Amino acid sequence: MEYYHSPDTIQDAFSIAEKCDGNFIYFAGGTDVQIYRKQNLDKNDHIIDLSSIHDLNSISLKDGNLTLGAMTSLGDIITSNKIQNKYPLLVEAAKSVATPVIRKTATIGGNILVRNRCTFYNQSQEWRNGVGSCLRDVGDICQVTGGKNDCYSRNVSDTAAALIALNAEITLLNSAGVSQQPLKDIFLPCGIKFHDLGNDNILTQISVSMKPKRWWYKKLRLRKTLDFTSLTVAATIDNNNIARICLNGVSMTPILIEEPLETLTLENLIKQARKNCKTVDNDLMPLKYRREMINVFLEEWWEYEHRK
Amino acid sequence: MSGAIGKPTPYIDAVQKVTGQAMYADDFKFPNMLYVRFLRSTESHAKIKSLNVTEVEASSGVVAVITGKDIPQPFGVLSISRDETAMAIEKVRYQGEIVAAVAAETIEAAEAAVKRFRVEYEPIKEFYTPEDSLKTCESHEQIHPHTKDHKNIHKTAELRFNEPEKELETAKHKQTGNFKFAGVTHGFTEPHSAVAMWNGDETLTVISATQVPHYLHKNLSKVLGLPLHKIQVKKPVLGGGFGGKSDPFPHEMIVSYLAMKTKRPVKCTFSREEVFITHHGRHPTEIAMSISCDDDGKLTALDTDIIIDGGAFGSFGVVTSYYNGVLLQGPYKLDKFGFRTRRTYTNKHQCGAMRGHGAVNPRYAVETLLDMMAHDMKMDPCDLREKNFLSEHSSTVGEFRITSNGIRDCIAAVRKKSDWDNRYGKLPFGRGLGVACGFFISGSALPILWNRYPQTVVHAKLDFDGRIVMFSGASEIGQGSDTMLVQIAAEELGIPMDFVQVEVADTKTTPVDLGSYSSRVTFMVGNAAKTAASNVRSEMAKAIAKEKDVSAESLIFKNGRIFTKDKSLDISWEEGVEMAMAGRGAFVESGFYISPKLGGKFKGAGAGLSPSYSFGAFISEVEVNPKTGETNVKKVWGAHDCGKALNPLAVEGQIEGSIHMGLGQVMSEEMRYNNGQQMNANFFDYRIPSSLDTPDMDVTIIESNDPEGPYGAKEAGEGPIHPVLPSIGNAVFDAVGIRMMELPITPDKVLKKLKETA
Repeated sequence: MEYYHSPDTIQDAFSIAEKCDGNFIYFAGGTDVQIYRKQNLDKNDHIIDLSSIHDLNSISLKDGNLTLGAMTSLGDIITSNKIQNKYPLLVEAAKSVATPVIRKTATIGGNILVRNRCTFYNQSQEWRNGVGSCLRDVGDICQVTGGKNDCYSRNVSDTAAALIALNAEITLLNSAGVSQQPLKDIFLPCGIKFHDLGNDNILTQISVSMKPKRWWYKKLRLRKTLDFTSLTVAATIDNNNIARICLNGVSMTPILIEEPLETLTLENLIKQARKNCKTVDNDLMPLKYRREMINVFLEEWWEYEHRK
Repeated sequence: MSGAIGKPTPYIDAVQKVTGQAMYADDFKFPNMLYVRFLRSTESHAKIKSLNVTEVEASSGVVAVITGKDIPQPFGVLSISRDETAMAIEKVRYQGEIVAAVAAETIEAAEAAVKRFRVEYEPIKEFYTPEDSLKTCESHEQIHPHTKDHKNIHKTAELRFNEPEKELETAKHKQTGNFKFAGVTHGFTEPHSAVAMWNGDETLTVISATQVPHYLHKNLSKVLGLPLHKIQVKKPVLGGGFGGKSDPFPHEMIVSYLAMKTKRPVKCTFSREEVFITHHGRHPTEIAMSISCDDDGKLTALDTDIIIDGGAFGSFGVVTSYYNGVLLQGPYKLDKFGFRTRRTYTNKHQCGAMRGHGAVNPRYAVETLLDMMAHDMKMDPCDLREKNFLSEHSSTVGEFRITSNGIRDCIAAVRKKSDWDNRYGKLPFGRGLGVACGFFISGSALPILWNRYPQTVVHAKLDFDGRIVMFSGASEIGQGSDTMLVQIAAEELGIPMDFVQVEVADTKTTPVDLGSYSSRVTFMVGNAAKTAASNVRSEMAKAIAKEKDVSAESLIFKNGRIFTKDKSLDISWEEGVEMAMAGRGAFVESGFYISPKLGGKFKGAGAGLSPSYSFGAFISEVEVNPKTGETNVKKVWGAHDCGKALNPLAVEGQIEGSIHMGLGQVMSEEMRYNNGQQMNANFFDYRIPSSLDTPDMDVTIIESNDPEGPYGAKEAGEGPIHPVLPSIGNAVFDAVGIRMMELPITPDKVLKKLKETA
């Protein structure tokens, strides 16, 4: 059997997956997965490329509800007039991912499910041989914390932060049929298994029905492009004045704080954020600074929200 | 200048490069070629207890396996620190050091075989910081056995003139600072690559991505025990060097040895991670510096103590140690001056030469202290600098001969263009301007390996087809040296550039040139090329004069024609060529450059000597976000005195490149280590500024017309980087009132400083 598969339909994808018996990886845009393969972090023998499957890359806006095919490229999201007009937060988030060249290929589905990152894990095989141990790779000690139990690798999806703040739902397809669930619910607080989709599901669609009254977005990184996030904050206020503030890049999952604006205080917001973010020293930006920036970003959002 | 000189000229190899036709080292493929992969150390400092190659040798597709003992002869670019072998022998000194090599039929076979080495290490105490290396240790713990006093100090360079320390003790106006600089690397596009072939006539040909074919040639001879006349080193098209390809490298020795051993072509091309491991970049540096001045703002003394972290081997480190000090002698006049630099060995990737070699970090220190001085004395920082500039045709305290000097024009240009006088110190909080100056050698007056031959020779060949071919050992590394050779020949002979072609950087066919380093090529090779081409002209003029009965001196070569002023004789270039070759045939004329005797007689007097120096002044404007500490460089105005811009397009490119590279070191680039292991050995985590991070640039070329440079030219490739960094650091002070004493200026450091000073 060849190692590279390019099915035309989802059903074909499932049947190939079944034959591969778990020894495969789905490939959307591949911009991130390719690196994992090069670094021998993804050791699966088979690649199932989803890019030839029809109808997974459409953008539709009906009655104000946005539906995105999971294979829609980030570049197409950025240039879509519909999304620019109705969901500028999503455009801002997509624009902040990687570079224009990568965004032409990278997909929204791939970015939502982007693998968690750690400075000690995302390295070449030779490099990792020098370290010898990583809970997510080989050995039983985490190089970041010295601990033996928990991996704190970071979820770095900018678009997930935006979509969670937009209360997005995702559509999953598996052999049993179609199911829908809030995007925020798929993530697991674990640096090794960071979502519960498993190999038997394919993410096909993202839908947003919330129409935010206001939105805010900011990403922390050393350069103005390319870098993965060191802290992303996406926030919305809906028609019922519910504030949804989603932080990412600072914990194993996106962290959502959802509360009526009326009862929310800045102090409480920061307290919740700091408590829920399991931030450890696994990014090249210093830990102390990243923690400080959680406060600074939330203060900035607060000021924006309460500006006269 | 009526011809090609002084005109903005696209590089002659530009189209070839952008269309993908250019042949880089890795593009060369030969029948029966073998591919090499390495076993690299996973330890920073350890004895190799055992190394079993049995399984590797039995691995499919493997043709040869070699280890350190096969190539035991030490080498190094400097004869005084030949401390490296092609592969580790008995012990390893840094993570990533080559321990063994496999040559196989395919890359995949070589990679698979490398995994089958069985190696055991016995750790030795590691030295990761200069602080560790300055302490005494057990002799068996020393990184190298030759270091003295049971310490890991590679070199101490020290020079003192007129007791600066005494002046500083009593000085009324004094500034002192402790600075810290992270190591940075070159970040060139093309990874190291080399192909070696053992030829039928028992000679060796090495095609390598190198800046210095000559030094590679000499080191190969020494390491392989092969006579010099049996070695040919060819430099193909090169994808950037910046000093990072100016050493002879282990992989070059290894592919050559394997070619001799297997009698087959052998190639090795690095991964990007291997390029980072190989490094040879700018040393991490700690500087304690003091300066003083009188009530008028005239500098009275400078004294500095510098520690540079050399990594595991010597490389250019002895030169770097001196350059850290001696290149502080300009662009300001100083009578009382002293420095000490200690270079330590540590168990990390080795450091070496990088654009602006040795002088970039101390330049940041002194320009910051000058800014502090101006601030304390309530003087304008530009005014303070202007009071102290060396004058042209003068001498420094360490007996550097200053010839042309356009520094005053440089600072005047950027001062005006940035509207400094109306804006400095007056911008709103968070926005600021900073100024800094610099100077640099235009080629080292002394060769790295002592010899009695000139620094360069260029041959110009004329044949029946009317074409001039310039033969030069100079290495085009993207700086435009091939184009310069063509421009100069075209200028001297009054012919269009398309009549001139080059044959370069091949130690078999081109005359020896010492290489592309220390910004020497335009000055030295340019002078030699000018002489060679003008000698061709003289020969042609002699022949034409004889045949046409005119005086040779009366002949003008211009626009592809040869004529007398009154046009009584007016012949085409081709007719002139035909006359010149009559009864003689094709001929070659030579030109050479040898530096005049320069400098003092004291020990260390040779360091930093150059036949000429470039000067520059830069102003930067920044915006600092006081809440996040993020610094945004908005604009850089740069003025550089390159003597004469032979190719203004190239000079502009060099200044812009310097701004970008300087921006990287000052804002975001840093070799990050964790216990000797580099955390960011890739272009994703090693943060070279993107186009979005790069500010607007305003470049001014100042032409001071050096009396000894070709057409007045001096260097432009390295000098412009020096002022970039401190101009940005000083702008941060103007913006938010904090002094950044540690590079890179990352947001966390800015925020910390802001909190400390609040």
